[in-house]
Amino acid sequence: MLRVVRRLALLLLGALATPAHAEDVLYLYIWNSYLSEDTVRRFEAQCQCRVNQDYYSDNEEMLAKLEAGATGYDLVVPTGFAVETLLRKAALRPLDKARLPNLANLKAEFREPWYDPGMRYAVPYATTVTLLGYNARRLAQLGLPTDTWALIFEPRYLEKLKGKVTVLNSQRELMAAAMKYLGYSVQEIDPARWDEAKRLILRAKPYWATFSNSTYIKDLAIGNIWLAHGYSSDMYRAQQDALEAKRPFAIEFRTPKEGAVLAVDSFVLLKGGQRPDLAHRFIDFILDGTNAADVSNLIGAGNPNAAATPHIRPEIAGNPGIFPPPGDLRRLEMLRDFDPKTRRILSRMWTEIKVR
Amino acid sequence: MKGRATAWLWAAALAVYAFLYLPLAVVVLFSFNDSLLNAEWVGFTTRWYATLFADEQMLGAAANSLLIALTAATLATVLGTMAGMAMQRWRSGLLRCLPFLVLTPVAMPEILLGVSLLLFFRQVLDLTLGLVSILIAHITFSIGFVAIVVRTSLAMLDESIFEAARDLGAGPWQTFRRVTLPLILPAVLAGFLMSFTLSIDDFVITFFVAGVGVTTLPLQIYSMIKVAVTPEVNAVSTLLMALTLTLIALAARLAPDALKGRM
Amino acid sequence: MTERRSARHAGGPGESLTRWLVSLPPTLFLLVFFLAPALLMLGASFREPGDFGGLAPARQDGQWNLSLETYRFFFGDWIYAEIFLRSFLVAAATTLLCLVLAYPLALAIARSARRHRDLLVLLVILPFASNFLIRIYAWIIVLGPADLLYSPFAVIAGMVYVHLPFMILPLYTNLEKHDPALLEAAQDLGADTWTRFRRITLPLSLPGIWAGSALVFIPVLGMFAIPELLGGTGDILVGNLIKEQFLESRDWPLGATLSILLTIAVLLLAGISAWAGRPRRSSP
Repeated sequence: MLRVVRRLALLLLGALATPAHAEDVLYLYIWNSYLSEDTVRRFEAQCQCRVNQDYYSDNEEMLAKLEAGATGYDLVVPTGFAVETLLRKAALRPLDKARLPNLANLKAEFREPWYDPGMRYAVPYATTVTLLGYNARRLAQLGLPTDTWALIFEPRYLEKLKGKVTVLNSQRELMAAAMKYLGYSVQEIDPARWDEAKRLILRAKPYWATFSNSTYIKDLAIGNIWLAHGYSSDMYRAQQDALEAKRPFAIEFRTPKEGAVLAVDSFVLLKGGQRPDLAHRFIDFILDGTNAADVSNLIGAGNPNAAATPHIRPEIAGNPGIFPPPGDLRRLEMLRDFDPKTRRILSRMWTEIKVR
Repeated sequence: MKGRATAWLWAAALAVYAFLYLPLAVVVLFSFNDSLLNAEWVGFTTRWYATLFADEQMLGAAANSLLIALTAATLATVLGTMAGMAMQRWRSGLLRCLPFLVLTPVAMPEILLGVSLLLFFRQVLDLTLGLVSILIAHITFSIGFVAIVVRTSLAMLDESIFEAARDLGAGPWQTFRRVTLPLILPAVLAGFLMSFTLSIDDFVITFFVAGVGVTTLPLQIYSMIKVAVTPEVNAVSTLLMALTLTLIALAARLAPDALKGRM
Repeated sequence: MTERRSARHAGGPGESLTRWLVSLPPTLFLLVFFLAPALLMLGASFREPGDFGGLAPARQDGQWNLSLETYRFFFGDWIYAEIFLRSFLVAAATTLLCLVLAYPLALAIARSARRHRDLLVLLVILPFASNFLIRIYAWIIVLGPADLLYSPFAVIAGMVYVHLPFMILPLYTNLEKHDPALLEAAQDLGADTWTRFRRITLPLSLPGIWAGSALVFIPVLGMFAIPELLGGTGDILVGNLIKEQFLESRDWPLGATLSILLTIAVLLLAGISAWAGRPRRSSP
């Protein structure tokens, strides 16, 4: 009996002693539903390696996890302001552009992002708009508009949608939506205006079903929720899921007329990553026109890659929620990081919003 | 009169059994649902089980869970058996604090253990979260369970056996190996199985101390519940239920008293 | 054989060494990985948050960087204490409901024929064999179409469902030990079913009730997964708040403070439960 136990123990020790990164594995930390399985498999076949993915659904969540010790990822996909944060923390490894010939494919307007002048650390991957997705049939039945933030903030609309609305569980995003609705900039830090936004949110909160960063995708598709505040790529997925499952309604999504948040998400290399070589290969792979097109065709996100344009399906290229037309672009703002003191105030306000 | 009261009692009992089983029956049933969503029944299929076995992420998580559970259960059983013996035999001096140390992790809400270990790993050890951090966390909360089971088992033994062994000239290790261990072996094994189950099942503590690329099954299920709720989740739930069911049945058979005694 | 008990403790020359060898490893392990983290948590509640999360250094430029700020923040507004109150209420409701549901079942099993009991107990443990997330997920599926998801009802239902076996088993262990002769004697003296239950069974089962209640109440206090997956905007509990501080807001000192306060609450409750459930002279 004891001999068996001893042998088992030796086996286990042997298994544990194998170095963790023995084979070729690329560790990727990315938004959920932001990278299609097809794309990953094609890359794995090409590089003869494995891609290990972990997911997050909010920049704050990602930053918190990285801060809480999740080192070892090779690639992360932060939004612009989060790139700012990571740069300030000196957490990023500079790009080796010699290994990224396909960088030339990027559209001109994405080459000098304000958060990464000279594109030394971040390679743009996809763009999304934070907007409202809805069950078209239900909202038509209720005679509700579909193009305004008032839908999630005004009791006169919320009354008809009570318990059928979700909002993002994100400090920055929800505050930004409130700010836009009130006519202010998303970067506004005036305490009086923040207070106004807080009161707006607290007034609407009893009508919301829950705060959700990812469950709204399935809830919309199943029909439990009729209106959700979320990312355009997730709304696209909900739309496709509902179609595939032959639900008796359609999911649509629109950018509210008051304006919204535009997010540019980029690949960055973390200093703690073990395989920058694989990371560079992956980025170059994604920058190739046909692969980049997957981002739009399969994920429903906007595309910073010019070489992808001919491969993008027309119905997606023409979707204003995915590729905002110039008129919409003027009303879209990108989030910028706050200084630590402001961030803390916001954080405490967020706690109050959750608790009250 | 007694008969009617018993009838009512059993009606209530059956209702509670139904309450316990129906939701799970729904989960198992829908694992065969031929639809992308868990909204309504469409048709019968086993394709979700096929998807499950092709899902590398899931298989990796399962492998991690198994490896962690085996290692954590082994180490927790060793340490827990030692603790159980210490608590039963020596209660003076410094060792008076041992019951507190051993039993409090069992009584505390898991979130407190999770965040305090996160804090400890990051601030003091500057440890990269991963397999090791999860292992340590799982061992910490399992020791108490094993200790309780072993102590109960020891308490039921007749002490004269140990006296007899000593009188016959046996040293402590000999006494342990040839007298104590065989007698408490069912309890030790039950403790091992319980630690194993606890580890495979653990969500809260693992949630805080898991690191990069090390997903366990519960964490994987959690992220699937939030995002990709295809019936694949139902399939993995059904299989997991079958596994832990087998283990508990085994434990119940090995040491029925020890299992109840831990309460 | 009791006269030889003292001889056991005296032991031979190997006894002292054995004592150290056996008790040291688990003690050390728990001191390092349980007590030290707990003390660290206490210390963290007095520190400042780091710029990007985590904790700011305790000493900066030779000055101690400590403050009571998080405690001031917590006690400065009643709404934060309210969250503790809400968590207590949810825990109490869950415990009560579990008791109501568990008692008939435990009693039925305890009164059934001896040969059936192990099987019946196993049938109770079986659903418990599923992962707790799966049990929550089951309720998501069931409640979604019924329009009951994201509500306090869903949270309580989930809590009760997940914790019910923790109430059934201790109750059963206690009830099983009741001597049927007591009940027969009472019946001979003319007591009806209800009186027999009220004056014999119930009081004797109190230690089991206390044990089960502690096993339900305390874990419920710390839960976050159930309110997160099943609850609405007004249903978050202490556990959610703690989790958010560590994994979203990156305000570790506030998270530490909340954890310390929760720990104190739990220790108090555990103490009360141990005192209330202590063996009395008249128990079986």
